[in-house]
Amino acid sequence: MTAATDLLSPGGAGATFTGTRSAARLFWERFREDKAAMFAASVIIVLVLIAVFGGPLAAWVTGHPNTTAYNDRMLDPYGVPKGPNSQFWFGADAAGRDLFVRTMYGARTSLFVGVVASGIAVAIGLVVGLTAGFFGGWVDTALSRTGDVMLALPTLLISIGIVAACNSAPNGCLHGLVQQGLRVVIFVIAFFTWPYIARIVRGFTLSIREKEFVEASRSLGASNSRIIFREILPNLIGPMIVYTTLLIPNNILFEAALSYLGLGVNGDTASWGGLLNDAQTYYDVAWWLMLFPGLFLVMTTLAFNLLGDGLRDALDVRADR
Amino acid sequence: MLIYLVRRILWAILVVFVVLFITFLVFFKLPNGDPALRFAGKTPTPAMLDEIHHRLHLDKPWYIEFGYFVKTFATGDQYGWPGLGYSYNSFASVKSQIVYRAPRTLWLIAGAATLWLTFGVAIGVLSAVKRRTLVDRLAMGFALFGISAPVFWLGLIALYIFWRTLHWTAGTGYTPIAQGPGQWFSHMILPWVVLSMLYTAIYARMTRNNLLETLGEDYIRTARAKGLSERRVIFRHGLRASLTPIVTLFGLDVALLVGGAIITESVFNLQGLGWMAINSATQQDLPIVLGVVLCTATAVAFMNLVVDIVYAFLDPRVRYS
Amino acid sequence: MKRTTRRLATALLVVAVGAVVLVAAGSGSRAKSQVSAGGTYKVGWEQSFGFTDNMDPVGEYLAEGFAIQTSLLDRTLVGYNHVPGAAGNKIVPDIATAVPTPTNGGKTYTFHIKQGVKFGPPVNRQVTSADFLNEMKRLASPKDGQEYGFYYNVIKGFASGKGKTISGISTPNASTIVFNLTQPTGDFLYRMSMGATSPQPAEVTKCFEGQAGKYGNDLISTGPYMIQGIDKVDISDCSKITAASGYDGTSKMILVRNPNYDPKTDSTAARQNFPDEFDFLIDANKDDIYSKVAAGEFQDEISSPPGQVLEKYYTSHSPLLKQYSGDRTWYLTMNLTAPPFDDVHVRKAFNFIMNKNALVQAWGGPAIGKVAHHIVPDTLFNNQLAEYNPFATPGDKGSLSKAKAAMKGSKYDTKGNGTCSASACHNVYLLADTRGQDLKMVPVIEADAKKIGITFKVHSINGAYPTLQTPSKNVPIGERPGWGKDYADPLTFFTPLFDGRNIIPNGNTNYSLVGITPAQCKTLKVKGNCTNVPSVNSQLDKCSVLIGQPRLTCYENLDKYLTGTVVPWVPYLWSTATHIIAPNVTQWSFDQFSGSTGYAHVAVK
Repeated sequence: MTAATDLLSPGGAGATFTGTRSAARLFWERFREDKAAMFAASVIIVLVLIAVFGGPLAAWVTGHPNTTAYNDRMLDPYGVPKGPNSQFWFGADAAGRDLFVRTMYGARTSLFVGVVASGIAVAIGLVVGLTAGFFGGWVDTALSRTGDVMLALPTLLISIGIVAACNSAPNGCLHGLVQQGLRVVIFVIAFFTWPYIARIVRGFTLSIREKEFVEASRSLGASNSRIIFREILPNLIGPMIVYTTLLIPNNILFEAALSYLGLGVNGDTASWGGLLNDAQTYYDVAWWLMLFPGLFLVMTTLAFNLLGDGLRDALDVRADR
Repeated sequence: MLIYLVRRILWAILVVFVVLFITFLVFFKLPNGDPALRFAGKTPTPAMLDEIHHRLHLDKPWYIEFGYFVKTFATGDQYGWPGLGYSYNSFASVKSQIVYRAPRTLWLIAGAATLWLTFGVAIGVLSAVKRRTLVDRLAMGFALFGISAPVFWLGLIALYIFWRTLHWTAGTGYTPIAQGPGQWFSHMILPWVVLSMLYTAIYARMTRNNLLETLGEDYIRTARAKGLSERRVIFRHGLRASLTPIVTLFGLDVALLVGGAIITESVFNLQGLGWMAINSATQQDLPIVLGVVLCTATAVAFMNLVVDIVYAFLDPRVRYS
Repeated sequence: MKRTTRRLATALLVVAVGAVVLVAAGSGSRAKSQVSAGGTYKVGWEQSFGFTDNMDPVGEYLAEGFAIQTSLLDRTLVGYNHVPGAAGNKIVPDIATAVPTPTNGGKTYTFHIKQGVKFGPPVNRQVTSADFLNEMKRLASPKDGQEYGFYYNVIKGFASGKGKTISGISTPNASTIVFNLTQPTGDFLYRMSMGATSPQPAEVTKCFEGQAGKYGNDLISTGPYMIQGIDKVDISDCSKITAASGYDGTSKMILVRNPNYDPKTDSTAARQNFPDEFDFLIDANKDDIYSKVAAGEFQDEISSPPGQVLEKYYTSHSPLLKQYSGDRTWYLTMNLTAPPFDDVHVRKAFNFIMNKNALVQAWGGPAIGKVAHHIVPDTLFNNQLAEYNPFATPGDKGSLSKAKAAMKGSKYDTKGNGTCSASACHNVYLLADTRGQDLKMVPVIEADAKKIGITFKVHSINGAYPTLQTPSKNVPIGERPGWGKDYADPLTFFTPLFDGRNIIPNGNTNYSLVGITPAQCKTLKVKGNCTNVPSVNSQLDKCSVLIGQPRLTCYENLDKYLTGTVVPWVPYLWSTATHIIAPNVTQWSFDQFSGSTGYAHVAVK
């Protein structure tokens, strides 16, 4: 949540444009040279593979399904989980489930929630920011002020209200659109992060709007929609890719924080944040609960942040880097 | 200038009002249960519940409820001004609860803010000056880690290493400074360091970016050409310009932490304002929630105002916009 | 030479013997750890007091509140000896001269007040019958914050709800008070042992009329201790009253000796009053509390020990670990109107398949309690139902064969093979909370249910009770609930939990909806199958008027009927009340009535 303030920092925007299509070429060449970013990209590819195949594969290899609690074998008589051994490579979580399998499945939750929530936030932010930046005037004022207020809202407190209401109803909120569990979490995250994107898009739109090629287009009699879709939007693609990539780790951490506080996905669904919630109770006797999910979480967010940085650098045509 | 100031103050008040209103709406309309149940014992009767609803003014529509809240706030209640009512959970006045818990949060923020501002800017400057060297790489690597690692994980690891294993610090919990400065410090040092890590990282990156950008400007080139020492160039001219966005962000970050340091307060069991708000939210203790949200929103509005004034002084163009 | 040696040897022998005697005497007294008066008994209380009415007895419903009031602050007409077990549940006289036997066919109780029982400072006068009447009026008035006033509806004129006069209570003179009931009530004496009936001076309570939750800061004591600073409060005028300095509602409650308490009006069997002061201190942090207790900085704690700490004390058989029956049952509740639990075959099969041992393990295993076999904990029946276990399985781990046998004949057993195979058996809404033990129980419940064909859609809510207490939410099954006694009579279990007439739209405690009628379903918006829901209303009415063993037998039969025939629950845990005390506590007792420390009998070195 607060890492997103990084996105707002003016220095980090890299806001200059060439306005030509060869930017794509330029971008790819610069990006290829950035070893760290390439490495991050490959890590992400591995993580995506883990998210898709890792869980079921781990369950098959170890023979321990994701939701089965082995309370006879992996919990002591007082309910305290046992550590890594030859069959349970990462030990057990608080309910006695295989931590290795749960951690692999956790990748699925984190990546799915992170990507989908970010996608929705970017979609909303794009529309709002474009509208505000392009049309200006009272539309801009109204939308910007809304964004300001949303940024001042107490995120976690309101999340509690929304999550509690949607989880208790048999069919969720918004007429069944927002079901309990995963969907509520995605809804909450998207709800609170779109203002960041909107603000950035608005800034870009404002500066592009004043560029010569847009004026030229207008003097030729182009309609508003033509200008938006033909001139402005293509120049936003680059920054949007960067900001989506940087928003994803922020939202992955947001989901982990919600799960940590007991507001996230329900207990069946493995989540790194939820596993770290278990760790809070047992960390002095069960170090594995703290170590493994945490390492995977940090690795994922690191990779996305590194990639985002690399993309941002590659898109920036400033010489003095 | 005065008109500018007045406009900003009015806007600040409006934001606080709207934030309170939305929070109120969420908890009044989406309740996870009836707060009256708290006072109705194990076996409530409908008559008891009606009586309690009447006593707590919950039998009126939400807009009247909110009106009542605003009126009590403005005119004060039996506990003095501002009138925030009393907690449904503990029967203590909301004001006394906030006064009791605020010092913990404020000390947490003060200590962490000092750390992150000092180290963040210092590391950022160092990195910028020594860019592309090993120092820069290491510093930015650390910064990347800082924005990727969640507080609740770092906190647990820190507790495990420095408390459980090495016994260098005290554990979770809080000792007021009056009861022993040594103990107080021992309890606070880990939360300070852990909380500041994220922000140190953000500020380091931001300072570096801003400084590099500024150092590429024309007037810097002029200063160098004039023969000024590099140190003078950096600190007198470079840093001054790049600090403005940092100041903005600093104000916002500090203000948001007033009610938003929930995770840190939970991990280290400091029981500050954010922790109290979350606990109260899950137990439908609406007066406390509103009280804390009021504090945070006021802090945010105030800080925004201060920053805007500082901006107006630094940059004359703003005043006349 | 020889004589000198012998003299020397004798001298040495004398010295040696003397030393041994001295050492033995010294260690003997050390080993006996003299229980003596004096010292401060400090209790570390986690997070917040959580008082339901800020210690005002008229509405204070928290068990810890009961413990403090009955031992230290608020004497009642009849009370307890604050010891564990059956002896701790026995009614003894407190302010009354004797425990009365009812007259007039069980409908009239006459109490005589002991002379010498006085209010503490700043009221400083003899307790009279008018003071009891004052408190009963506060109990009857809804505005004063009462939370269990329904127990006293049996008193004539009480239930009118206005509280101005109660026709059924008469005070012929200052030391006599008579209660006239509408019907014989076998547990009436228990009801008069509750803190809400303790005498309160009208000259102080009138200042708090209609302001629930305020009087507790100025509670006037009739017990051996009082709130520190209460003697400095000016009660000459309502506008002058301030809160006593010793209790601030959020961080501490300090109790000091009440100078007006006369031990001759009390008995040492009930109260010994060793410490000079009691400090109840809110402490942020669990780990901190337990390390302070181990170091002797706190004498006692109000918290629940983390699994690792409990395990350490339990496995080392430490005498500092005090565990007694908590008189509390934890259970899975099944909604008798919601498919598939509207079919008794399914409910019985569910009881057979559930691995109750694993559920108890999720709570902390043997250190936390033992597996429950029926509804009411055995202690409340004097262990007369100890052998009753209708759904017994080997090791309490569940039995698939027995479950399938029970399922046969169910309308949901569409395949005829003893599993729940109709569509109503899939994706059933399971309401779960998010505490540590809930997160560990849910996988066990889901895995076991799957064996008989039931699959769940788990709704996790932080704070699940409000949803469970709303019948219109139609929750088929909840894993959160637990229920403890109010006083040692089974009525406190059965009436709130199973009386169909008590089902209300908000705050309902009859989660299973036993005894609900189709008309009620309509008004409460219950959507399930409301025809022919079993009811126990008539049995409840029958049992409540009996006294003694017939009463006990009546309730025992009711327990058997509910547990084995109606099957609204899967009871799984009878939890123990656990306290870890400090090494410098020289005497400690459990108070069976409140389920917490018997402060009346503790002593600290």
